[in-house]
Amino acid sequence: MKGQLPDQDMGMEQPGWQQHPMVGSDMERLMATMQAVEQACSSLQVPNSRVAAEATLLAFRRSSHPVQACQYILEHSQMATARFQAAATMQEAAVREWGLLSAVNKNSLRTYCLHYAMARAETGEAFVQAKVLAVAAVLLKRGWLDSVAAEKESFFSEVRVAVQGTHGPAAQRSGIALLEALVAEFSPSTASPMGLPAEFHEHCRASLELDYLQQFYTWAQDAAVSTADRAVQGVGTPLDVNVCAAALHLMSQILNWEFQGTLVRGPNGNIVVGKNRANVFTSSIGRESVKRPGEHASVVQPGPAWHDILLQPNRIAWVLELYERIRQGGLGGIGWVDSPLAVSARQLIVQFCSLSGSIFPADGSTSQELHLQRMMSGISTWLDPPEHVVGVIKSGTSESEFLDGCRALVAIASLTSPSVFDQLLRVGARPVGTLNLLASLTCEIIKASRSQGSEEDTWANEALDILLDSWTVLLQPADLSKRIPFPANGTDAAAAVFHAYVETHVKAAAASAHDEGDETEQLRAAIAARDEHLSAIALVARAAPSATVPLLAMLISERCSWFPQCTGGRVDPTAVLEELHWLVLMSGHVLADSGDGETPLVPESLSALIPGNADPVNHPAVLLSQASIDLARQSLDTSLRGVFSPRLMEAIVWFFGRWVDTYLMPADAGRGPNSTPSSNEGEMPGQIANPGQFDGRNSLVVAFGEKGGGKAVLEVLVRVSVTALTAWPGERTLQEIVCFQLLPALVRRRNICAHLVTMDSWQELAHAFAYQQPTLSALAAPIQRALSEALCKSAAGMSSGEATNQYVKDLLGPITGSVSGLTKREDFQTFAQQPNVILQVSCLIERLRGAARATLPRSQKAIFDVGAAVMEPLLILLQTYKHQSSVVYLLLKYVVDWVDGQVAFLEAKETAILFHFCVRLLEIYSAHNIGKVSISKSNNILSESQTEKYKDLRVLLQLLTNLSSKDLIDFASDVNSDVENPDVAQVVYLGLHIITPLMSVDLLKYPKLCRQYFTLLAHMLEVYPEKVARLSADGFGRIVGTLDFGLRHQDVEVVNMSLTALNAIAFYHYQAVCRGQEGLGEHALSTTGPDGVVKDGVLAHFLRSVMQFLLFEDYSNELVEPAADALLPLILCNTAFYQKLAQELLEGQQNAVLQSRLATAFHVLLNSNQVSSSLDRHNRRRFRENLYSFLSDVRGFLRTR
Amino acid sequence: MSDDEHQFDHKADAGASKTYPQQAGTIRKNAYIVIKQRPCKVVEVSTSKTGKHGHAKCHFVGIDIFTGKKLEDIVPSSHNCDVPEVVRTDYQLIDISEDGFVSLLTESGDTKDDLRLPTDDQLLTQIKEGFGDGKDLVVTVMAAMGEEQICALKDIGPKN
Repeated sequence: MKGQLPDQDMGMEQPGWQQHPMVGSDMERLMATMQAVEQACSSLQVPNSRVAAEATLLAFRRSSHPVQACQYILEHSQMATARFQAAATMQEAAVREWGLLSAVNKNSLRTYCLHYAMARAETGEAFVQAKVLAVAAVLLKRGWLDSVAAEKESFFSEVRVAVQGTHGPAAQRSGIALLEALVAEFSPSTASPMGLPAEFHEHCRASLELDYLQQFYTWAQDAAVSTADRAVQGVGTPLDVNVCAAALHLMSQILNWEFQGTLVRGPNGNIVVGKNRANVFTSSIGRESVKRPGEHASVVQPGPAWHDILLQPNRIAWVLELYERIRQGGLGGIGWVDSPLAVSARQLIVQFCSLSGSIFPADGSTSQELHLQRMMSGISTWLDPPEHVVGVIKSGTSESEFLDGCRALVAIASLTSPSVFDQLLRVGARPVGTLNLLASLTCEIIKASRSQGSEEDTWANEALDILLDSWTVLLQPADLSKRIPFPANGTDAAAAVFHAYVETHVKAAAASAHDEGDETEQLRAAIAARDEHLSAIALVARAAPSATVPLLAMLISERCSWFPQCTGGRVDPTAVLEELHWLVLMSGHVLADSGDGETPLVPESLSALIPGNADPVNHPAVLLSQASIDLARQSLDTSLRGVFSPRLMEAIVWFFGRWVDTYLMPADAGRGPNSTPSSNEGEMPGQIANPGQFDGRNSLVVAFGEKGGGKAVLEVLVRVSVTALTAWPGERTLQEIVCFQLLPALVRRRNICAHLVTMDSWQELAHAFAYQQPTLSALAAPIQRALSEALCKSAAGMSSGEATNQYVKDLLGPITGSVSGLTKREDFQTFAQQPNVILQVSCLIERLRGAARATLPRSQKAIFDVGAAVMEPLLILLQTYKHQSSVVYLLLKYVVDWVDGQVAFLEAKETAILFHFCVRLLEIYSAHNIGKVSISKSNNILSESQTEKYKDLRVLLQLLTNLSSKDLIDFASDVNSDVENPDVAQVVYLGLHIITPLMSVDLLKYPKLCRQYFTLLAHMLEVYPEKVARLSADGFGRIVGTLDFGLRHQDVEVVNMSLTALNAIAFYHYQAVCRGQEGLGEHALSTTGPDGVVKDGVLAHFLRSVMQFLLFEDYSNELVEPAADALLPLILCNTAFYQKLAQELLEGQQNAVLQSRLATAFHVLLNSNQVSSSLDRHNRRRFRENLYSFLSDVRGFLRTR
Repeated sequence: MSDDEHQFDHKADAGASKTYPQQAGTIRKNAYIVIKQRPCKVVEVSTSKTGKHGHAKCHFVGIDIFTGKKLEDIVPSSHNCDVPEVVRTDYQLIDISEDGFVSLLTESGDTKDDLRLPTDDQLLTQIKEGFGDGKDLVVTVMAAMGEEQICALKDIGPKN
């Protein structure tokens, strides 16, 4: 780390290249260079010599003043790759040596590239041409802000002449290619790195957008029109079609530009760029901007200035007509659909469909609708009639036009309301609206995607995705103001789509029922993808609830009634099971949204629905829920249970896990839309306040509310849960869904818990759990943990705090009894090692942990007593199972959760008990783990034991963090009591002392562990710096070592926390020294090692690291503030050392201009803006400002990128 | 494969340690399991179903804890598997004999002289060097199904 600062100069002089033979005259030298490069290029293909060849080429790239050689190679080499390398070298060298080039040089280099490409327009290889033009673009951009308008004018007039086609089609194509290269280069996301601040790139971008982009577009358009005309009339050359395609492509690329639209010129003619600091410190250059998933069309918003250029009716019409010509086979030949011309034209048309924003005059979107209407009539021929179009593709025609049509549809859909969207096609006498077209397209595609089989990446699946996106943006627009009623024909259309979907998928389910279980289906990603797809379809279903929901209910009931026939093996139920599996999943998505912790409401369209005959039982959602409940109830019947497969049960349990949150005893039951939110829970449910306002909400409350059928349903669900846990032994997935989804949903709300705890079924479950009945004890340990958590959470439903505590005590008492009973056995040491005992112990600990995780303020007392009762037994277990790392891990996890639940509430006495326990725990753990070396025959097992160690450490860190949070959050009531509060810091430091020897740089490479460690470290250093100062040199050294590591970490959070930690110790030291105290004492002093090498004091050392980091590394700009906060106290502690560093940097800078800039910047950093030597808030803020400007000033030339 | 089984059968009989039944569905990664009469550590478990609507079965990949060999097994998840009792005991190392056996001190003060030095190079060197330097060494011996092996080493400070 040390001594790197001065080394970081420009690095221009690389010795490697100069070692090549320097032969007499210039010509010979150039020849030799060319041969060397050619040689390297050809040996690049040979695996053996690749490394050497790469080294040669890299050396060539870094050699100083290579431009002459590059030009020589470009002109004389017969080898295209050599010419390419020469062009690349020229680009790199020009950017690097920009400051050394004279204005004339720069100009001529640029012109050289342009002329080179033009002169070889017809013969040169495309990739070399493109590279040379890209070099021209880079050169132009590099000098963009320095060159005067006249210079640019002359350059562009030359380009313009070429683009107009004056020099023939080949040169025309090169001109267009140059413009493409320019647009790409000036667009920040595709710009090449230049080692310049982001501000430079921003200025270039703004300047191009304001002054040139429209010109480029017009030139390209003119070129397209003229070449297309010639091609259509058949008078031009074959190249004309190519040029036309290139021009269209350029147009579409320009529309892809990230338009800012808000640029204005300031009074002095400069472009005003928003002075935001974003992206000044990262090189966003070269990174593609990330598109949101599922977005098939990005909106094009070029702003009002583009209105005349883009929206002239004849311009749009021309493109549409041109494409019509191509379709009719006039241009492009046989495979016209995928010819570059057709592809570019379609892309442009899709972009026209995505136009929005202020480019349209503010006339209440009339002109936008007119425009979209025009576009729609253009693209409808690609899609209409759906049966025919899809049929043609199925018979082997390319699908790309169809897919582009779908993309245009989704683009238009995302810009309009459903009714406007529907009207777009109803021009003149057309009877059907766009929604009907969309529906019949979707139906056709649903059928097609099934007939294609289950492969993923088929065109039909892609088309279906895009079409479903269209439905989604129509039905659930991001802009809520567009959420107006769906047109009636749209509802019918949605119903038709859903019918087709259900029909196809039920059939598919039946057909695939006998397939082997697909393991990949269980993967999380596969499930997420399936859910996403189903919720898109569910949106469609919800658009027509009165047709779609009863359909699902009917299909489920129908199959449910077949069950009795399936018993006894007379009929094979498999196909029916798979159909039901699919139907239940689909129903779950249609009826309810996943809450992700929140309580999702009944979907609007469902709650607004008025049931038939105003009878609540006829409400579609009630019908479907009831059908599913009936299905689930059948699994309770032992005579029918045999028919239910684990897979179907999984779906049923999943369904109710989702359904419960939304429908079961809703918290706002009975409240009309206008009632006040303060009315008490459940006081007026069931009663319909105003019969005139009878709607779906009330039907649902009657059916599943607290006073309605809710209790009966709850009873069924508890019994189903217990059955699912016990009747299919070993079906872990099913048990997981019960314990991680359904039960947590049941105990999530207190009003449901209140009913649960009074229910026989729930009490039976609790009893079976507490007395460890074998059926429940056979469950896997994590399942038992989750079960324990759910049971303890339901204690919230007890009426008083006392009852709550009693309930928890009754539930856990037998378990603590078992734990301590076990450890008291005389033969426990040997007995304990039996696998069945290990399993039992693990399960008991997991049950305790589940309970600890369910700690509520009301049950905290009981859980503390439970924890206190097992403290001694747990220490015995930790000792006994020192070799069973899995038990140790579970035990530590339990303590973490227990402490987490308790620490905020404890009184001093209890705190002392808890801390004492934790210290003993840590001591026992470290006694068995420090300095232990494990080996194994198998690397696999060895790396596993490494992982175990890592997991243990994470838990220990969590424990310490939880313990130290006692200082931050403390709800205990006896703050002023006479019992002394145990010193949290002391405990945590003891912990740190135990942990640091176990910690290694290798372990810190695990991201989660690393974050936890640094969180803890930053917290400790901030709160208790004086304790750190008192650490031994060894302990302190370890912390310093990890901070060094943290500063160089990839993770922004980790660096941030390391900087916070540095700030804390430097701050502490400075203030202490100012008060005449010792501060960090000897830790801060520089020492001379036995070998005579001077080791900087720790603060000086970090001052160097932070400076190094700020000036030369790549980092996120959010780190500048914490770095400034750390830097200021570091500088104040070591002013002399800081001066020395600055001097080193200045001396390393050879360029006089830059040197003086750097000197000024250093001066300004500490002197402008009234920065003083205090550490108060104002001063820190001023220093941050200074650092920002310092960095944006000097990083550009210090860092060469 | 069947030859192996026969070979190990009598070995397992010879050992005093037992195996215990445990439901396959509850055996997780990093647990122990008997596959083909060998004590293994589970390094991979995956579940699948016998047909979409069939019952779950577990696919175990285990590593023989003594030989490091990889073994695999498929068991219906509701059935029981054998789980070996794996005991680790710490002994203080008192001597290394010429013929490659070690002499260990048991907790009760007796010596245990029937164990060979480990074959693993790293551990072997560490034991030999540590012992040569006069360090106080504690070795961990892993025993399962009648076999024993030194599997870990801890330095508890220099000999006084």
